[in-house]
Amino acid sequence: MEIRGVAIEDTFAEAFTMRVARVVITARSPRWVREAALKMTGFATSVIGCKCEAGIERELSPDETPDGRPGASVLLLTMAKDDLPVRLIERIGQTILTCPTTACFDGLPEAPDRVGVGSALRVFGDGFQGSKVVGGRRFWRIPVMEGEFLVEEKFGLQKGIGGGNFLILATSADAALAAAEASVDAMAGTPGVILPFPGGVVRSGSKVGSRRTKGMIASTNDAYCPTLRAVTASALPESVNSVLEIVLDGVDAPAISRAMRVGIDAACREGVVGITAGNYGGKLGPYHFHLRQIMSGDGTAK
Amino acid sequence: MSGETTLTLRGPLSQRVDAGTVAWDALRGLDAAAIEAQEIWVDGSGRARLGDLFRVSAAPGQQVRLVGNLGMMDGIGAGLAGGALVVEGDAGWYLGQGMSGGSIEVKGRAGPQAGGALPGAKRGMTGGEIVVRGSAGPGAGSGLRRGLIAVEGDAAEAAGRAMLAGSIVVFGAVGAEPGLWSKRGSVVALGKVTPPATYRYACTYRPSYLPVTLRYLKRRYGCPVIPDHLSGLYRRYSGDLAELGAGEILEWTP
Repeated sequence: MEIRGVAIEDTFAEAFTMRVARVVITARSPRWVREAALKMTGFATSVIGCKCEAGIERELSPDETPDGRPGASVLLLTMAKDDLPVRLIERIGQTILTCPTTACFDGLPEAPDRVGVGSALRVFGDGFQGSKVVGGRRFWRIPVMEGEFLVEEKFGLQKGIGGGNFLILATSADAALAAAEASVDAMAGTPGVILPFPGGVVRSGSKVGSRRTKGMIASTNDAYCPTLRAVTASALPESVNSVLEIVLDGVDAPAISRAMRVGIDAACREGVVGITAGNYGGKLGPYHFHLRQIMSGDGTAK
Repeated sequence: MSGETTLTLRGPLSQRVDAGTVAWDALRGLDAAAIEAQEIWVDGSGRARLGDLFRVSAAPGQQVRLVGNLGMMDGIGAGLAGGALVVEGDAGWYLGQGMSGGSIEVKGRAGPQAGGALPGAKRGMTGGEIVVRGSAGPGAGSGLRRGLIAVEGDAAEAAGRAMLAGSIVVFGAVGAEPGLWSKRGSVVALGKVTPPATYRYACTYRPSYLPVTLRYLKRRYGCPVIPDHLSGLYRRYSGDLAELGAGEILEWTP
């Protein structure tokens, strides 16, 4: 299969089950929404080193938020169910509570699994906190120097998917970057999906384990490093001089498939030789996103 | 269960009626005969049945509608725990007494002690929502333990007296001594209010929870919330300082 001269490899991205929460952040202005959301999703590229993965799902208009202010929705994912409340409490407590004018709401109110977040953060109020129940949802009002921080008592969590991916194989670093940027721009705002790496792009894709260092969980994906073409079992065609990866996490397989379709299509441009994907032979992750099926519009995850 | 049960008043009430004995929470699941058999008490003539006063059209569902001027009927919605009760007219004393869930919407006025505590009781309603389109009599939300009361008109004196928690939102003027002896809870005054002497001014700010509450009231009940209510500043008074002092009166500053 080719799209505008770019080969779509007959392979699949292998992804894993994770737990996901959706956090809705609101603030007085888009500026402070952005500040809070960026802080909350900082240092959350990979569970390997960050304990969670997080990203901004999309901006929200005032009509879409519980308090009628500008907002953003953030997805935060962990591998273990028990980790999710810990990460939420840490991050909301350190980045949203501290940020001027913000409030914080559950973005998965229908999810049956609920974890206490506001109920833990309320103790920052040192006994001066109070709660309100509105429409069956409890919110905590925590007095702060600026005024008051509002946070929902419980947040929903559900099964999500982490590790959707595709690799852009290009003739030059400039071409790879331009394609990755176009791909990320095309996927921006796709509901149910985040791209947890910087600007949505990974330059240091990894393989499981290490050839040299015992105990390392992951090390450089030497098969896709152009500089190692001559000294390793390279997977790169001759004309490829740079590779960038896009990693996608999401609330479900259809959301990731939709985003991959849009992102891969946008990446098929001048200077790009091929699109491939990372997998582990299909033995580790239960979700397999087959590139050609996705691009032909007849598949999500198998 | 998407039906609606309707009780239509046969004629004007000439005596006060105590309807606090009606199993209001069960009505939405009963047939017409069972509803008509519910006991009430009529001043002067004693025990009677709902069927003596109302024509009943029963269709099990989540909503019960009362049609008629029921300003002489007390205890409407007593013990309600779920579903929706709509009064297409006025309601008498002790609307929603002992209520713990669900909603009551009164299209007209509500008499004294709406959502409030019975004499001698420490607690008023413990959950649910009451919306009064007209005015509310004295003592609305007295002893309120939990829940939300919205009054689109004026609220007479002693609204939120001895509140324990919950919120009372008044779109009109608030009568004398709101929130007196309250421990916690909020009286939100979108009209004129004079806090009691035992409340102390704290600051002027935007309470972050209020837009959530007001938008909810507008969305669910069509309450007359205007954009300035959402974005405006509120003067916060803490009290009752003769009690716990964790309550508040929020006065909108247009």
